[in-house]
Amino acid sequence: MRATYRVLAYLIAFEVVVQASVMVWGIAGMGIWVDDGGVVDKQTFEDAFDNGTKPFDEFTGLMIHGQNGMMIIPLLALALVIVSFFARIPRGVAFAFGVLGLVVLQVMLGIFGHEVSALGALHGVNAFVLFGTAVMAGRRASSVAKPADEEPVSVSA
Amino acid sequence: MQVRRLRLPLALLATAVVVTPIAWLWWDSRLPDSYDITQMGYADYGGGPEAGHEHHAGHPGTPVAELVERSRRPADVTETLTAARDGDRITINGTSPGPTLRVTQGDLVEVTLRNEDITDGTTIHWHGIDVPNAMDGVAGVTQDAVEPGKTFTYRFRADQVGTYWYHAHQVSHEQVRQGMLGALVIEPRRPDKGVRDEVAVLHRYGSTPTLNGAEGTQTVDAQPGDEVRVRVVNTDNALMPIWVTGAPYRVLAVDGTDVHEPGEVRDVAVKLTAGARVDLGVVVPEGGARVDFGATTALVLGEDPTGGAEPKAPRTFVDFLGYGTPTDPGIDASSPDRRFDYRIGRRPGFLDGKPGMWWTINGHLFPDIPMYMVEEGDVAVFHIENNSGESHPMHLHGHHALVLSRDGKEATGSPWWIDSLEVAAGEEFEIAFVADNPGIWMDHCHNLPHAAEGLVAHLMYAGVTSSYDIGDAPGNHPE
Repeated sequence: MRATYRVLAYLIAFEVVVQASVMVWGIAGMGIWVDDGGVVDKQTFEDAFDNGTKPFDEFTGLMIHGQNGMMIIPLLALALVIVSFFARIPRGVAFAFGVLGLVVLQVMLGIFGHEVSALGALHGVNAFVLFGTAVMAGRRASSVAKPADEEPVSVSA
Repeated sequence: MQVRRLRLPLALLATAVVVTPIAWLWWDSRLPDSYDITQMGYADYGGGPEAGHEHHAGHPGTPVAELVERSRRPADVTETLTAARDGDRITINGTSPGPTLRVTQGDLVEVTLRNEDITDGTTIHWHGIDVPNAMDGVAGVTQDAVEPGKTFTYRFRADQVGTYWYHAHQVSHEQVRQGMLGALVIEPRRPDKGVRDEVAVLHRYGSTPTLNGAEGTQTVDAQPGDEVRVRVVNTDNALMPIWVTGAPYRVLAVDGTDVHEPGEVRDVAVKLTAGARVDLGVVVPEGGARVDFGATTALVLGEDPTGGAEPKAPRTFVDFLGYGTPTDPGIDASSPDRRFDYRIGRRPGFLDGKPGMWWTINGHLFPDIPMYMVEEGDVAVFHIENNSGESHPMHLHGHHALVLSRDGKEATGSPWWIDSLEVAAGEEFEIAFVADNPGIWMDHCHNLPHAAEGLVAHLMYAGVTSSYDIGDAPGNHPE
């Protein structure tokens, strides 16, 4: 369970990196498309998200960002919480809930960044907080994974 | 040691506490194979009386299927529209967009829809025309989807002069995209002589934007001094900016209703809501004029004033809240009989068992949403609020509503009547309408994939009962 916790935590941190990467890839592609005289409007976005009609290949990056961020990462965070109940990591449950809370906040900032652009800026900052918290959670799982596993450490539950 | 023995049961209990509500929400969200829309969600009386909504034995009410055009006289206009599959498109009488129907005010119109081979079945909804309920073309609410090889005949009086359109309302988020649509113009009995009349149907096939089915720029052979009325129909799912280069213009009508004393504007754009229409009036100057639809298609009137260069889009927009001059709108919304909230939000949850970030209405997910209950003759006010982070073009069937205010700011221009209203993220509107067309009417987002994602409510009249069912079993999927 401890190993599962560690893998999930690092996987979430890795997913944050993926999110940043695909977003910039998509926006770079959009810049090139517009630079070449292409048009991007609301219908472009609606078609792409509804039925996968993409004006340029890098639009895939924006679609991955949405799918990953609203589905896969929240599911990973939820799985981390459940695993934390069994993993016997000092403050592992607290960290798992912390990661889940930051993921929820991140989704909200992402969605409402469409309404108030300053929230989009916070979305960028919160990504680092989430990344850091997920890495710290993973490290906790690593540092206690020693022979002391058989000892009843931390019976404070 | 005691604590160690308890650890596993505690972990299992904690897991159950997290997982059980999620599992229950999933289980509860699944839709039955067949359901009556009037049996879903909860009744919202908007502060008005509940009387008349109870159906006692012996007072079964009027079924939707009987809410038809009463006149038995022969139709003035008879048309047959044959819908057929053509690769990834749906054509009507061989083309997409389908034929533009032009009728005269007061005509009794009879259109027979023939489904040649659309396997999902199809229907026709008359977008913006306040037809009798059974003629509204919503599969599973006002009729059954027309199966391949079958027909359905729509009969209605064309009373409202203006620009409208028709489209499928069965699996509409796919069928409209595939081109199951066309324009319908109701001309006044005494048309403006000497005004050229052009219809501009905007639709995107795949990623190709088109104007009346063709890409790029089209030219109308107009002379300087000619007056042109351009009837623009946005059949897509997203807002489209429209502007005129080379000449000032007026917005003569919005959603089919004439604007009162529309002022001349120049170098500003009109934001055309998904599903909505505007009629633009342009007097062609020396050197010509050009109407641009986004930066995607254009209609040139006479010469091209840009010389074919890239069109420059204005960065300011006509605000219909203050456009034109006021006049009696013919509706008194100062003390409405009912006041409804239509608050749009978004949250994680399950829609028919599918997890995702779904739209909510008044905090609830489809189908656990309000059914807005009215009685014939009521004046109803809707407070529409959008906190979902995305814009929604809201479309009320069977009625035209008057915009009273936006973000608390009252309308000061011409009465602004709409059937399709762009509600941007963070915006709120108050709109009013008279409940004068009994039936069960959809009130939904015309970004049609959003409707398929549950952003669809209904207006229900007292004394009306449903006649049809939605779901896999009856084969009716209106969204």
